[in-house]
Amino acid sequence: MNLSGIAVTTHPEWVEQVANALSEIEGMEVFQTDIASGKLVVVQEAASVGAEVEGFNRIRALPHVMAVDLVQHYFEHDNELIDAIPDELNGLEGIHVPAELKD
Amino acid sequence: MHLSRREFIKSGIAASTASLVGLPISKLAEAAAADLEKSWQWDKSVCRFCGTGCGIMVATKDGRIVATKGDPNAPVNKGLNCIKGYFNGKIQSGKDRLTQPLMRMKDGKFDKKGQFVPVTWEQAFDEMERQFRKTYAEKGPTGVAMLASAQKTIQEGYAFNKLFKAGWRSNTIDPNARNCMASAVAAFYSVFGTDEPAGNYDDIEYTDTMVLWGANMAEMHPILWSRITDRRLAHKSARVINVTTFRNMSSDIADLEIIFKPQTDLAIQNYIAREIIARGAINKDFVEKHCVFATGPYDIGYGMRPTDKFAYPAEKDVQAKELKVTLDKYEAIGQRRQAGEVVEQKNTGNPAAHWLISFEDFKRGVEPYTLDFVAELAKGDPDEPLDNFKAKLKQLADYYIDPQRKVVSFWTMGFNQSVRGTWLNEQCYMNHLLLGKQSMPGNGAFSLTGQPSACGTAREVGMFCHRLPADRLIPNPAHRAYSEKQWNLPAKTLNPQIGSYYGKILRDLEDGSVKWLWVSVNNPFQSHPNINHWLKAAREMDNFVVVSEAYPGVSAKVADLILPSAMIFEKWGSYGNAERRTQHWRQQVMPPGQARADIWQAMEFSKRFKVKDFWGEQKVPGLKVEGYEDGKLPSVLDEAVKMGYSPEDSLYKVLFATPANLKVRWPDGVAKGHPNHVVTLLGDGWFPEKALWQEYVPFTRGDGKDLADFDVYHDDKVRGLKWPVVDGKETGWRFNEQHDPYVKKGAGFDFYGKLFKAIPSGDLDKVTDPKPVSVAGKAKIFFRPYAAPVEQPDSNYDLWFCTGRVLEHWHTGTMTRRVPELHRAVPAAVMWMHPDDAKKRGLKRNDLVWLESRRGKVQIRVETGGRNTMPRGMVYAAFFDEGVLINKVSIDAACPISKESDFKKSAVKVYKA
Repeated sequence: MNLSGIAVTTHPEWVEQVANALSEIEGMEVFQTDIASGKLVVVQEAASVGAEVEGFNRIRALPHVMAVDLVQHYFEHDNELIDAIPDELNGLEGIHVPAELKD
Repeated sequence: MHLSRREFIKSGIAASTASLVGLPISKLAEAAAADLEKSWQWDKSVCRFCGTGCGIMVATKDGRIVATKGDPNAPVNKGLNCIKGYFNGKIQSGKDRLTQPLMRMKDGKFDKKGQFVPVTWEQAFDEMERQFRKTYAEKGPTGVAMLASAQKTIQEGYAFNKLFKAGWRSNTIDPNARNCMASAVAAFYSVFGTDEPAGNYDDIEYTDTMVLWGANMAEMHPILWSRITDRRLAHKSARVINVTTFRNMSSDIADLEIIFKPQTDLAIQNYIAREIIARGAINKDFVEKHCVFATGPYDIGYGMRPTDKFAYPAEKDVQAKELKVTLDKYEAIGQRRQAGEVVEQKNTGNPAAHWLISFEDFKRGVEPYTLDFVAELAKGDPDEPLDNFKAKLKQLADYYIDPQRKVVSFWTMGFNQSVRGTWLNEQCYMNHLLLGKQSMPGNGAFSLTGQPSACGTAREVGMFCHRLPADRLIPNPAHRAYSEKQWNLPAKTLNPQIGSYYGKILRDLEDGSVKWLWVSVNNPFQSHPNINHWLKAAREMDNFVVVSEAYPGVSAKVADLILPSAMIFEKWGSYGNAERRTQHWRQQVMPPGQARADIWQAMEFSKRFKVKDFWGEQKVPGLKVEGYEDGKLPSVLDEAVKMGYSPEDSLYKVLFATPANLKVRWPDGVAKGHPNHVVTLLGDGWFPEKALWQEYVPFTRGDGKDLADFDVYHDDKVRGLKWPVVDGKETGWRFNEQHDPYVKKGAGFDFYGKLFKAIPSGDLDKVTDPKPVSVAGKAKIFFRPYAAPVEQPDSNYDLWFCTGRVLEHWHTGTMTRRVPELHRAVPAAVMWMHPDDAKKRGLKRNDLVWLESRRGKVQIRVETGGRNTMPRGMVYAAFFDEGVLINKVSIDAACPISKESDFKKSAVKVYKA
């Protein structure tokens, strides 16, 4: 489960419209709005962290959104480390200069 | 009311979020927030990424990081995070994290052409030492080098600086901050005589006019941007002005957007100065009491090599301009000369020289910068009507000049990364000083930083080839003597000759004058311009390159030896941000595998050397300094023995584990149960991060740079302190009597910086009286003319090319591309281009193209929409993507004063791949 607490800022006159638009994004829940300050509090739930980031980008792309600030990130960690040479360094033979450097 | 567990957690997160942005929350929600976090151990820390310096809270459970959030008590970000900061807790967990030393080997021993094989730290250091001794014997102190970083902790920077300068007697250590902040520093020195900004981030809430000069803060400084948007919304008269070479995300809320042609910001700032004079708007009282006028030579070159011996054939025409330049029409007018005149670049050796001029001369200097002249020169969007552009320039001048308005100017790389970067910085102060809108709440020219500790580690510690701690300079004998005394070194231990700067170290590697290079916490083989040259120097020449890294970036791949480094939350450390705020953190978790902190690497390696290896007489090719025999550093061994050292003492004992430092013991109450893997590895019971901090702070005190004691920063209530910290109090605005204890009582303002405060006098073209005049307490208002970019589009390379960052990625992506979320958000660099330019070349969005300059070419995809809108004639691509390696294309010309590379102005052509 990936949950994020997000603060969205818009012009006061657009708070309602932005709130409606946010509610239409999957996994997004608008908890609070404040017309005076143009602030909205949103919690996003995403199945994957990739979907979480797509969500941020969709918020940012909404009309009239001026700023998107992320406040709290709750995650199930994946600290698995591979105790071996990374693939990127494996199998390099001798001098590793990208071919196009030798033009 | 019954809530499910999930709903309960969500309402807790919503409550934390709401309370942060100042919205009321219910009791139930408050309880939910408390419950969510009760099993976690929260500790204050700081963001790993940009120079803003946001406070981050890190939650650990059972030795692992489980959550992060913006620190609600941090005055910088007040609990907010940008997308990079949000994922701080994950950067150390990439699947390809380096966890053991790797060396190129063949048949069981080191071989330049071998493959990477895991080795022990002992084996790694054995080979590193063997190669070091070989080069040191052959080339002396200048043959060994470090490309260091403004992302090192302050203590790491201090330790490496001391190891190189005091131990190895080599000044050939320079940080990547050279490519980030050097122009800002050069101007702080020339204008104020002391480094770092007068103001602080609270300026945003005090001002009503915010001018962004080539700084896309919406992407590069998102948290400061949030504060700017809040100010714009909450304060009716607040205005935001975006002065930029292409439309970007910062234009979205800008009240005025000015699209200018690359490098003509030099002319625009002179236009504003001319308007200030023409409208009688000079703040005479301020200028007379606190300022003087100055200028310097124009014929200073472009920071390129003086020879074309190493240039590719295609590079030679531009390289030749390092020696002489034919003035174009606009330069000629701006410099009061004739178009077509050939100007030999006679002052490449002393570009920073400057002298006093009269106000009348200054006025004569800016006189050619009329609205008509500047508008014709500077209009950056060929599709914008000239009259429209003129009206905008006038509006910009109005905003600055309006006596009812407070003005803050922000900039970062747009000014700094320019062949005239120092001049651009100086010009910005010029206008603020003329108006008296400087060093007061809401008024000031504010140089932002790009990296988390450009100020703290690189600048304050003086980890540059020409600097020593706290604004002391290598060429200054008194500064060397002071540092030798503080470090308990025999007199004349320090090398008096400036070492090679960042770009020069890479050139040295190419021409064989540096043969042993240690790269630490940066990625020069991706991030420095014109990298085809440096990649070849690393891989195809007989050089030994060590790279300390957390992930296998390009520099690690071209290295001979890779040392696995611990990352931010795996070690103790401290950073200094762009508003002079110093912040410390504790180690939160253990580094994985064999990864170890850089400070341990410096100290453990130093154990292998004795003082007699370095403190005897040393040959230094080209050393020529008064008081020293040509080409030699004297032996200081006799003096060392008198001071109680033995020639057999290790550098570790003399530089780090000194008797005073060994008294600073671990465990220490300040740790509150947090681990310290460096203490464990060293095994002699001292607490190096604290001891070295306490050893460092006396350098800063009594000189306007005062830092507090280690324990003060670790106090639960403290969220960093802005220096100078005097009598326990931080300083909001420097040079202002109401805020800065260093200002003389009754002075009002006092620009008390001490550097370059005795200068000759002259006119706009030359020195007329070489006798130094004291300008103590004054700031200098510089006249700097327009100068054309050294490389410009022509019929073959017909487009401007600019590079920089994107919001989601940090620099070369070694960390952020390991966070799957960030990688997916922006997986590859794209090249933004105007749709008409694409159409003209038969291209459409997403097409793969070649982007080619005189220096190299890369394949990249075309983007004609999205977050940036290019004017016709210009393309932009970020440098984070090692699959693209955009810096094969960019030019390594630099500001001759600051030596900072110009990443913003190369000429390229684009065609279908």
